[in-house]
Amino acid sequence: MENVRVEQEPLRRFLLALCCGDASWADDLAQDALLRAYVASGSFLGLSKFRTWLFRIAYNCYVDDLRKRKGKGGQEVGLEDPSARTLPSSSEADGSFRYQQLYMALEKLPEKERACISMHYFEDLPLRDIASVLQMPLGTVKYNLSVGRTHLKEYLTL
Amino acid sequence: MTASDKDKKKSPIMDDREIEQYLRGIKPQVKDDPLFLLEASNRMMAVEGIKGEVDRQRRSGQVALVIALVVGLLVGGTISAIILLYPQGTISLQGKVLADMSQIPQWWKYLFFALTPIFAIILGLVLSSPGKKVIG
Repeated sequence: MENVRVEQEPLRRFLLALCCGDASWADDLAQDALLRAYVASGSFLGLSKFRTWLFRIAYNCYVDDLRKRKGKGGQEVGLEDPSARTLPSSSEADGSFRYQQLYMALEKLPEKERACISMHYFEDLPLRDIASVLQMPLGTVKYNLSVGRTHLKEYLTL
Repeated sequence: MTASDKDKKKSPIMDDREIEQYLRGIKPQVKDDPLFLLEASNRMMAVEGIKGEVDRQRRSGQVALVIALVVGLLVGGTISAIILLYPQGTISLQGKVLADMSQIPQWWKYLFFALTPIFAIILGLVLSSPGKKVIG
């Protein structure tokens, strides 16, 4: 429970970025991930960091949910309009606009790039840990980060 | 104004360093929600309850399996002992019950010995197998 208290904020932030600002979806996924982690806690051998392990579960939850939503809709998931989502209450109008811009740009990224960007820049996870979470080689993480940055530059400046 | 200045004005984020600074400076903010932790803790407690119930069922199944095996061994051992101590032919001399048993046809003995372990194994499997799936 102590781990949950410590890790819930980074986990929710990571999922919030993955869900492009949809806080209720992100929180549902975070609950799901915490529950899965709790059920599977016996299988955590401490070979990786707890956060990495938890993020991997959370990412799998996100991918599963995305697949389910795609299956239901029969087409690419249409995320809600980011401008209509709940934005951080503390942010002022100017800050809200910045977040809107960010989420709209993140939404246009492929999920792997979005995940790499979120973990690297918002959670300060080392590249090796990101590779472990996404189960991809280190080089692919670097490539995704580079391409993601290029895409973001493009989307944020338009 | 040079061409590069114009470009800079048109696109505020130019190079990797700037976009990195931008991203590091705009971490998504999550609401401090005490209900989130409360809900998580409630769910975990519910799972703990389910885990406990599943463990209890598994333990009772194991006990039943052990009992079935012990009963099977005792019954088998007793019958084997009777057969070894009182082979066919001498059985008619050992009182009424044993005399009655000698009337049972020979094939019935084999059938009985075949069925006893089978039933013991089936009983053990039925009692030890997990019941309904609690979590999908």
